[in-house]
Amino acid sequence: MPGAADGCGRVDGPGPRVGAGADRGLGIGGPRELRDVRRFSHEAMATVFEVQGVHADARYAAQAAQAAFDLADRLERELSRFLPNSDIGRVNHLAAGERTRVSPSTMECLVIARHVFDLTGGAFDVSIGTGLPSLELDPDDFLVRATSSGVRIDLGGIGKGYAVDLMAELLEEWGLELALVHGGFSSVLALEAPAGRDGWPLTLSDPGAPSRVLARLSVRQTALGASGLRKGDHIVDPRTGEPARGRRAAWVAVPRPAAVGTEARTDEGPRRAAAAVADALTTAFMLLSPGEIEALCERSPGLEAWILEEPAEGRQGEASLLHVGGSDPGYTSTSS
Amino acid sequence: MAGKDEKDKVTEQAGAAGPRKLDRRDVLKGLSTVPALGLFGYAWQKQRQYQQATIEAAAAAPVASSDLQVINVALLGAGAQGQVLTDAMLRIPGLRFRAVCDVWTEYNQKRVVNQLRKFKHDVNAYENYREMLDREKELDAVVIATPDFWHSQHAVDCLKAGKHVYCEKEMSNTLEGARAMVVAARDTGKLLQIGHQRRSNPRYLHCYEKLLGEAKLLGRIVTLNGQWNRAVAPDLGAPDRYAIPEARLKQYGFKDMHQFRNWRWYKGLGGGPIVDLGSHQIDIYTWFLGVNPSHVMASGGQLFYDPKTHEWYDTVMAVFDYDTPAGPVKAYYQTQTTNGSQGYFENFMGDQGTLLISESEAHAAKLYRDTNAPAWDTWVQKGYITAPKVQEMKEKTEGVTDVRESVSPDEHNVPVVLRDPYHQPHLQNFFNAVRGKAKLNCPAEIGYESAVSVLKVNEAIEAKSRLSFKPEDFHI
Repeated sequence: MPGAADGCGRVDGPGPRVGAGADRGLGIGGPRELRDVRRFSHEAMATVFEVQGVHADARYAAQAAQAAFDLADRLERELSRFLPNSDIGRVNHLAAGERTRVSPSTMECLVIARHVFDLTGGAFDVSIGTGLPSLELDPDDFLVRATSSGVRIDLGGIGKGYAVDLMAELLEEWGLELALVHGGFSSVLALEAPAGRDGWPLTLSDPGAPSRVLARLSVRQTALGASGLRKGDHIVDPRTGEPARGRRAAWVAVPRPAAVGTEARTDEGPRRAAAAVADALTTAFMLLSPGEIEALCERSPGLEAWILEEPAEGRQGEASLLHVGGSDPGYTSTSS
Repeated sequence: MAGKDEKDKVTEQAGAAGPRKLDRRDVLKGLSTVPALGLFGYAWQKQRQYQQATIEAAAAAPVASSDLQVINVALLGAGAQGQVLTDAMLRIPGLRFRAVCDVWTEYNQKRVVNQLRKFKHDVNAYENYREMLDREKELDAVVIATPDFWHSQHAVDCLKAGKHVYCEKEMSNTLEGARAMVVAARDTGKLLQIGHQRRSNPRYLHCYEKLLGEAKLLGRIVTLNGQWNRAVAPDLGAPDRYAIPEARLKQYGFKDMHQFRNWRWYKGLGGGPIVDLGSHQIDIYTWFLGVNPSHVMASGGQLFYDPKTHEWYDTVMAVFDYDTPAGPVKAYYQTQTTNGSQGYFENFMGDQGTLLISESEAHAAKLYRDTNAPAWDTWVQKGYITAPKVQEMKEKTEGVTDVRESVSPDEHNVPVVLRDPYHQPHLQNFFNAVRGKAKLNCPAEIGYESAVSVLKVNEAIEAKSRLSFKPEDFHI
């Protein structure tokens, strides 16, 4: 029997793979703290998306949120590797020399993924070591061409963030500017804050000890991504194919382009879809050395990261938090 | 009971008769791992051909090869469905978009125009379709995805202007409207394809032609059921800043923005969920059974949503009767819009097996063989269906029945996969027909027959009685 699904051809069963570990590590201030905030949620991409927003008209806010969720469903139909007739389903079936046309959003997501792949020396790799450079992206004609067979794309480490970016743009179009969108708490994008606040309250907590709050943030016009491992989880380094060790969690904050006064599209790289980039970088930051992460943060104004290292083998004690970068006025943070 | 005991005895004797033989499951399991082309050659080839065609199609876009006749296309109706069709058409070679027409010039029209321009189609934008038909002299075809109550006038005028037309289902919200479309297609000699896109879906075609037609896997189909259940959702809204001025809404038949966005729920504009959703699947009932229904009874109600803004039934349960050459069939259909349990599917049940099929590629199609039915090995070997999913069988102690968790019946899959957007094959069929290289899979006459069956459900709910169809109801 077909599994539980709404009538929109939504995937159920296994959804896109979560980049590293699972959706955890970011907390959002509860309704008690934010009384005037309306909350709407929806299942997509094997997780729960949520829109939180401030608007006088409850029905209007619900309709705006629904339009954003419909958009997430559409993106899932394009990006899911589990659907044979999604763009990614088709890309994953290309033999050497074949090409296929994809939607503008699929192309944009692939271009961002490729950009972060290059930025991180392959530590973020949506092909999980099957050969991302063998896919030629032609963004002018929206064509993807494979120069060799066997490339398998999994956008699990970026798709949710990308969906959150586009959902936020849609909410702004609807005039819901005081809003926050997240996909399973691992990709969060804060727009303008509710009246009387300087930002949306977020917490970063230890996935090994969820009650241990590592930092409290107040965020606006910023995306936050989280990757974390619980005991027994592991993450494979796409550069070596070996399981990576020594790190428990990583968080990345990326300011939205408007907040740092940059153009939405530059010549050097793709549009800075903040949540997509944060989502992708957080996976890479589970693997890169602290030095590499520092270097990246220096090169990218506003980029900020928190790395939770495992205690050294045989040592007791709490995992230690490393805080890198961050010069953006868009939010304030206090470590606790 | 006597029969059952006898059968059990036979099984027991066979079990006791010496060393365990390979049973059918084992053989099939073994065969399925042999990478011989002959075994799954058919399905492999069929899939391969289909994929090759679509890959070539994608590779050809956006520049069609010189021998491919370029078709000049306009989109009339740029809402959600128009956008789905546009997305599919952008993957079909040899199309040149010339115009987009939509009364929501502030939002949907802009969105589709921008999308097409990204793909280098130099399109003109129109609010009024007559103006578009007057000015765009080079158009060959118009794809219509406007609200149902506009279909008839739009399609008839486009046909009379000499254009081929692809029109979304429901063909029309009235039978008079649908009839006028059939007549206009006949009078003008132009093509009119109705958007029952499952009729071009390679998996549905495979089930129809091979599994039911040639292999007759289900034996005698006696009953079927199907559904489209959709989760509760708020009414559609629109960004405040892009609202359509009231005068323009009135000009195009809408009393306000809410009705414009939610026309499917209003009498005189749409037909409610039974028409929006049920239409696709009731069309499949008729197609697969090969005859139109003889009777329908139905119950429906406004059980959940505000009846003032949801004039049609949010919940419908209907039973159709079919007199097929093989015998009578009862077909149940349900649609409701408050809980998405089990999504959408059609389930054909015969005395020898079951075919559970869904348009959703996430669910695809499954077949279950009745344990007493003749073996399906031939069809597995021909590649029409996959080898059954084999249960993990532990070694038995000879002659002793091992009591265990019950073993599920054989489950086969249909090895035909659609790798394109859902509407692409049906649109491709239409454009192939425009080029004279194919026959329409859902011409106006078929769309009309389907409309007769589906619109009658709402009538039966209102009448609170079983209504009958006469054979002539389906013909013009």
